[in-house]
Amino acid sequence: MIRFEGVSHRYGAVEALRDVSFAVPAGTLLVLLGESGSGKSTLLRTVNRLIAPTAGRVLLAGRDVAAGDPQALRRGIGYVIQSVGLFPHRSVGANVATVPGLLGWEAGRIDRRVDALLELVGLDPAAYRDRLPATLSGGQAQRVGLARALAADPPVLLMDEPFSALDPATRRGLQSALRRIHAETGKTVLLVTHDVEEAMVLADRIAVMEGGRLAAEGSPSALLGAGGPDVLRRMIRPELLAFHRLAAIPAGTGAVPGPVSGAPDLPEGASMREALLLMLTAGADRAALPGEPPRHLPLAAILAAAAGEGPV
Amino acid sequence: MRRLGLEALAFLAALWAAPRAGALWQALFPEVSRPTYAQDSWFLLLGSHLALSLGAVAAAAVLGIPAGIAATRGGGRALRPVLDAIFALAQSIPPVAVIALALPLLGFGAAPTLLALVLYAALPLLRATVAGLEAVPRDALEAARGLGLSPWQRLVQVELPLARPVMLSGLRVAVTLSVATAAVGAVAGARCLGTPIVTGLANANPAYVLQGALFTAWLALWLDRALGRLAGPGASRSGEAVG
Amino acid sequence: MRALPALAPLAVAAAAAPALLGWIAAAPNRLLSPRVVPLPESATLAWAAFHAALAVLLLAAARPRPAWLAELAAVAAAVALLATVGLGAAGAVPAGGIARAAPAAGAWIGLLALALATATAASLRGGSPALPLLAALAGGAVLGAAGWLDALSLAREAEGRAPEILAALAGHVGLSLGALGLALALAIPLAALSLRARRIEAGFLAAASAIQAVPSLALFGLLIAPLAALATAFPALRAAGLGGIGPAPAVIGIAAYLLLPLARGLLAGFRVAPPDLVEAARGQGLSPRQVLLRLRLPLGAGVVLGALRLAAVQAVGLATLAALVGGGGLGAIVFQGIGQLAADLILLGVLPLLALSLLADAAIGALAGLVPGGRRA
Repeated sequence: MIRFEGVSHRYGAVEALRDVSFAVPAGTLLVLLGESGSGKSTLLRTVNRLIAPTAGRVLLAGRDVAAGDPQALRRGIGYVIQSVGLFPHRSVGANVATVPGLLGWEAGRIDRRVDALLELVGLDPAAYRDRLPATLSGGQAQRVGLARALAADPPVLLMDEPFSALDPATRRGLQSALRRIHAETGKTVLLVTHDVEEAMVLADRIAVMEGGRLAAEGSPSALLGAGGPDVLRRMIRPELLAFHRLAAIPAGTGAVPGPVSGAPDLPEGASMREALLLMLTAGADRAALPGEPPRHLPLAAILAAAAGEGPV
Repeated sequence: MRRLGLEALAFLAALWAAPRAGALWQALFPEVSRPTYAQDSWFLLLGSHLALSLGAVAAAAVLGIPAGIAATRGGGRALRPVLDAIFALAQSIPPVAVIALALPLLGFGAAPTLLALVLYAALPLLRATVAGLEAVPRDALEAARGLGLSPWQRLVQVELPLARPVMLSGLRVAVTLSVATAAVGAVAGARCLGTPIVTGLANANPAYVLQGALFTAWLALWLDRALGRLAGPGASRSGEAVG
Repeated sequence: MRALPALAPLAVAAAAAPALLGWIAAAPNRLLSPRVVPLPESATLAWAAFHAALAVLLLAAARPRPAWLAELAAVAAAVALLATVGLGAAGAVPAGGIARAAPAAGAWIGLLALALATATAASLRGGSPALPLLAALAGGAVLGAAGWLDALSLAREAEGRAPEILAALAGHVGLSLGALGLALALAIPLAALSLRARRIEAGFLAAASAIQAVPSLALFGLLIAPLAALATAFPALRAAGLGGIGPAPAVIGIAAYLLLPLARGLLAGFRVAPPDLVEAARGQGLSPRQVLLRLRLPLGAGVVLGALRLAAVQAVGLATLAALVGGGGLGAIVFQGIGQLAADLILLGVLPLLALSLLADAAIGALAGLVPGGRRA
């Protein structure tokens, strides 16, 4: 869906991006991970042409983003920023309706879309539609920002450190909302963050940026696995390495047939990490997987996966 | 709002009654032989005064607001220091001096006053436009750009609405300044509510002076309050006296 | 480099205007209107100096240091422009005759451009334009004293009316100082009281604000009748000079306008002192008055002086209208000029007015700069 070909960007004496090339398949949630100054935000903004690369090109659905009208391009891409940037003088509903209004949708269609989007991001339309941004909390504002970005149903969503300014609890809430929305809508999402945790929680694929270069790119488990580049491993505290690896492994991979009694129940689609935490809380050494035929996950399987053995 | 309307009616009624209140003026100024100002219709003077001052503000807005917008766009920013310099210079020259200087060039009548009015009213409008636009939150602008609003749409849909309260208070200052300076224009031959004051001073007729001053002050105060309501609560009047 | 886009157009305008629209306009007698004449050779050196100064201005604009060079160059260029005009006039009209010469439109525009350039350079440096502009006026005065401007009709007029102008200037200073003094005498105790009672503060500020909207001409006019009545009732007042016509309505009126900026400045200045410091002082036994004099005033001096500066400049401007109510001042000269439609007379009133305004600004500004918390002039 998105392809970077030899993208470089320099301003003055600074080389913000050096020859970055990789592709983002359609429907993936790819996280651009890196420290400040690594070039991740700069790379993100080449996609909607807020920054024009000094070399190389960016292709969106096969077409060079540099061709054509930038405004038209941006109206077809969702954009969410850290400080949200809601228009203070307009209501929540009016904010969400911004791009559909620009595209000339008729009023009834816009209203229905606004309501649908507010529900999608977890805000009750009746309660929030007419509120002013100043009355919203940080988390609520960013949900509105997300709704606004999705309003015209763009195939691609760009997010620049969207949750970094929020407190941890709110951040978790929005992360799971994003995962749910991504699963429901199947859009291509490019998300920038400096938080490894967040990357592990959200990403289908991760692209690690260092000093303007692409240091590594792949799925979290590939990047954390024994054979992969150690770029990502270096960013994670050693004692948490196994913990993170487990997040990328579905609980079902180590499951053993047979029911168990008295064991805690795992939710649908849980990872090994969630299973471990559940067992810790319940004080059990196994957990029951949902569905038929009955299966359960023993603690031993988790230990094996953490050590990097067993099926992945 | 209604109080303003009632007061406006009272004002107009007083304008109508003034030439007919000979007994009152005589009682107040027993030593003046002709205390009632009747050389011009008060309504004519009012109309002329408003046309002069409000017309000047309109012209000043046409000059000042686009200039303010330009001063906050890319290339125009380089000229900010010049704008600051103009504001600083204008502080040192009272409007009456500008009227006086324009007189040899434009002759007697409304013209020199109009020129001074436009120049002096443009400044608060310019300043307010720049201040209002600069106070627009940057993240709202960045989001607007990323969402696909063109520069014109950003200006009209985001920046100007957010700058509006500040611009309106600038308008208030401009109108107050304009109404006051128009009164002074009477010395240069402008026909307005200041004319009876100047005539009265020239002919030692304190009755004329009082009548002119009363209506001038009343008009100015009413307009100031009316604009205060327009700008909404929280808008402030500048702390400077008007010439 | 930042200064260049702002100063370059002004420098170019200053050079182009006199070249295109003329330096000097001359007429053989008072009846004919002046026409632009070519610049005589007498002015060549000054002309060269003018362009040299402009070149320095452009150079200075392109380099960030030293910061004061651009201002100096602009002032020098303005003085050189005046010299060119003066010397050119001397060459264009025979001395002592009835022919008259005056700066042409190009020279005026050039001066305006240079004034703007000076002010711009000053604001880029972060300072007030008053001082450099005063320097330019002083330079002009030096030229006048040296006799270089004598051929201009303005100078001849000034020579003839010198005592009148000086008297008007003195009167103007008197009016401004009188109004400032009166306003301070009212504002200081009221501000001190306001510190303790919010209601007094609110009432005080509301009243002072309301006055701001009244046109000064109207206020002066409204004061005449009551003052006249008072003077009739108490003849002693009339003997002291307080009558309906005279300086009284002007001084009282101007003081009324100064109340708001002074009140705001005083209150802000008084509040600079941190509350716990005030409490400590009270605890040591200082009376409120001593707290005011020994604590609040010194600490808040910078802010107060800033407000005083604003008020002084306003006072000078407002005093111009005093002439209409018989208060004298430079306005008298301006209005005489208006009455006769004589541009020279108007200028003779306006130029000292400008100088006075700038002087007040620069002087108090310099004072404020010496005090901690005051803005540098």
